[in-house]
Amino acid sequence: MRVTNMVPDIQYAMQQSQQALSAALQQVSTGLRVNQPSDDPSASANMVVSLAESASVDQYTSNINSVSPLMQSADSAISAMVTSLNTAITLGTSGATGTASVTNKQDMAAQVEGALSSLIAQANTSFQGVYVFGGSATTTPPFAAASSTYTSAQGSAGSPLASTTALTAGSVTTISDATTGDTMTFKAATGDTIATLSTAIANAVAAGTLSAGTTASINAAGQLAIGTNSSTNGIVVSSNDAPLGSMSAVSGSQVANAYAYVGDSSVNTVQVGNSMNVATSVSGSQMLTSGANVIGSLNGLITALQSGTSTQIATATTAVSTALAYVGQQRIPLDNSISEMSNQESYLGQETLTLTTQQTSLVGANLADAATNLSQAELTNSAVLAAAGKVMPETLLSYLPQ
Amino acid sequence: MASLSTSLLTAVQSLDAASGGLQVTNNNIANANTPGYSRQVAILQEATPTTDGSISVGNGVVLEGFQSVRDELVQMRIQQQTQANSGANAQLSSMQQIQPTFTTSTQDIGTEMSALFSSISSLSANPNSSAAGEAVLTAGKNLATAFNTASNTLTSQQSSLNSQVTQDVGQINQLTQQVAALNPQISELNATGQNGGTLLDQQNQLVLSLSALTNVAVTQTPNGVTLTTGNGTPLVMGAQSFTLQTATGSNGMTQVLDQNDSNITTSISSGDLGGTIQTRDQTIPGLLGQLDTLANQFGSAMNAAQAKGFDQSGNAGQNLFNVSSTVAGSAGDISMAITNPSQIAASSDGTSGSTGNLVNLIAVQTTALPAGQAPGNAYANLVYQVGSVTSNATAEAGATASSLLQLNDQLSSVSGVSIDQESANLITYQTAYQAAARVVSTVQALFTITLAMGTAAAE
Repeated sequence: MRVTNMVPDIQYAMQQSQQALSAALQQVSTGLRVNQPSDDPSASANMVVSLAESASVDQYTSNINSVSPLMQSADSAISAMVTSLNTAITLGTSGATGTASVTNKQDMAAQVEGALSSLIAQANTSFQGVYVFGGSATTTPPFAAASSTYTSAQGSAGSPLASTTALTAGSVTTISDATTGDTMTFKAATGDTIATLSTAIANAVAAGTLSAGTTASINAAGQLAIGTNSSTNGIVVSSNDAPLGSMSAVSGSQVANAYAYVGDSSVNTVQVGNSMNVATSVSGSQMLTSGANVIGSLNGLITALQSGTSTQIATATTAVSTALAYVGQQRIPLDNSISEMSNQESYLGQETLTLTTQQTSLVGANLADAATNLSQAELTNSAVLAAAGKVMPETLLSYLPQ
Repeated sequence: MASLSTSLLTAVQSLDAASGGLQVTNNNIANANTPGYSRQVAILQEATPTTDGSISVGNGVVLEGFQSVRDELVQMRIQQQTQANSGANAQLSSMQQIQPTFTTSTQDIGTEMSALFSSISSLSANPNSSAAGEAVLTAGKNLATAFNTASNTLTSQQSSLNSQVTQDVGQINQLTQQVAALNPQISELNATGQNGGTLLDQQNQLVLSLSALTNVAVTQTPNGVTLTTGNGTPLVMGAQSFTLQTATGSNGMTQVLDQNDSNITTSISSGDLGGTIQTRDQTIPGLLGQLDTLANQFGSAMNAAQAKGFDQSGNAGQNLFNVSSTVAGSAGDISMAITNPSQIAASSDGTSGSTGNLVNLIAVQTTALPAGQAPGNAYANLVYQVGSVTSNATAEAGATASSLLQLNDQLSSVSGVSIDQESANLITYQTAYQAAARVVSTVQALFTITLAMGTAAAE
């Protein structure tokens, strides 16, 4: 073949070798084989998915780190509740022997009241602003001192509310009963009035959600009054209905040792794995009011110690023991979750390692290969340049006499 | 019969031939680096001999003319390969500008999408943290911005390519006019038996430039070269060139029309114009369609999940993202609909502090969208498409460049100027010229002697 001008070939060879050199240098300097999708489209796409999984794993780990202290806090609170209940059982057992004097039993009753107060304080434990026993209602203390009567802010003698006073559609009025441990939630519909609310309360009483005797009426001051009509039954009422205004306990109507649960029965969860969610809160109603009714059992013991017979004290003590066993059962899921999270954290650490390995495999450069490629590219580039320098100046004219 | 006069005449013809050889060598050396130049050779032919009886005497050499050395077949293959190479380069150039938007970074869609779901997950672990709520809003805005940026990158590139169509058509029209203008001159030379030489070189170079812009079919006719586009639309016939027009189509894109106002846009398949049109009308709309679908379906899925819950005021969750009612343009105008963390519908039952609905929002990450894939996988597929198109264009551009180099080498081996060869020719013709001149001086000396012989006899 007749060869005329080698410059284009040399230029092409230099360009190719320099591109190879640049690519090899980039791989060595970045440690990456794939720096853009076109380097390896399939690996790039898989990398997108893998990075998303890594982000999820990192977040799961972060969630565990956020939630673990909260759950530890809940566990510690339950532990303290157990202590309070054990204290009450010890006192009840002493009180039931028949040797304790009335004064001693009164003292014991006072100590059980202290244990109840301590238990309520533990039940209102919060961690970084989250009330752990409020169910999903984590922003307010879940157990509130109950009163026998609540009245509305709206309404006066001059401008009284009436049974026909319309309620705002969508507004919510809740009544939490300390004795039943249940909560009635009334959401007003269009056309509802105070009379509708009263009917709903009556229905709740009939259903056992609220204690017998709980009613709603318009008092002499023209306000809506919701009460238990009892000195031993307490409720906590709240409403966001503007025509009623906020509901507040009537001064002096607080019922001793009565605490209503104002949280809810559902719990928040947080994802700590692709198909693993753990509860981040505990429903206080499930823990202390429904089921064995822990608060009720303590109140029963207080009453028995204050005025009951030895048999009654023993029975009340047994009820507290039953409540203690119930609390212990409720603690198991929480402890299991704490244990699962610990295991999950270890798993996520391993998963992070696996994903990192996968990502290195997808886009990472084999440094030994990359270094070899770089060396090879340098050698090739040098050879091309040397050949160009050798060949390009050579023509016949170089050898002809001047 | 041979005579001194005949010898002198033969020597003069030799001088002409050598001079012609020197001239063509000189011209070849001068144009050694001129693009499109085909080397020329002097056509020498033995002069008709004189016959006297049984004796035949040669009459030297005749310079018939100069001939350009060409290989039409290789020239045609170079034109075809140039069309393919330019088309691939046009696509590659566009994709290289699009690709960074879809390369994993701190701001690409995939990263921002992960950040959004992480922030929602973080909110579920810290339900009463205003900072966690703000983080969700920020991540949502960042994701919307990433969608907007990707969409803008694609549409800007499409707009830029649209302008390129008009520029390419303008250049094509200029080139076809120049090619047509050369046709009569070349035909005239051919008709008189002369070689097209320089004019043909110029025309070939123009056709090559035209090949870099669009796909053209080249046919040699007695009236010169005829050029047509891929679907047979004439561009040049004889001295006439046919101007291509541009018009805005119903899709807002510039269309290419032939002299009959027929739309020939889809028939332009290679060259810069072909690559530009393919990227503008097929590649980018394909990517943009997927991006819009992803943005629209993702935004709608998040809104649907948000609607299942309640915000901190107990109201039903309002839209998280503003999403177009139509898929087209969704990626470009998706935006965050809520401005306050309290509007995040975290609650599943309307109570403040509940995070029950965040599960539904997080579930969007792993739930298949109506298009069939989960959001992350749909985006990964988009990244694959961008990488694949770019990679293919890179391979095509590299392969055609390599092929073009070989073809040019092949053409150069026929038509290219070799300085070594021309240097040798220079010596050859110089020697020939010196020898012929020596013959002239020898004949002159013989004439002098002959004349002296006559003078001596007279004396």
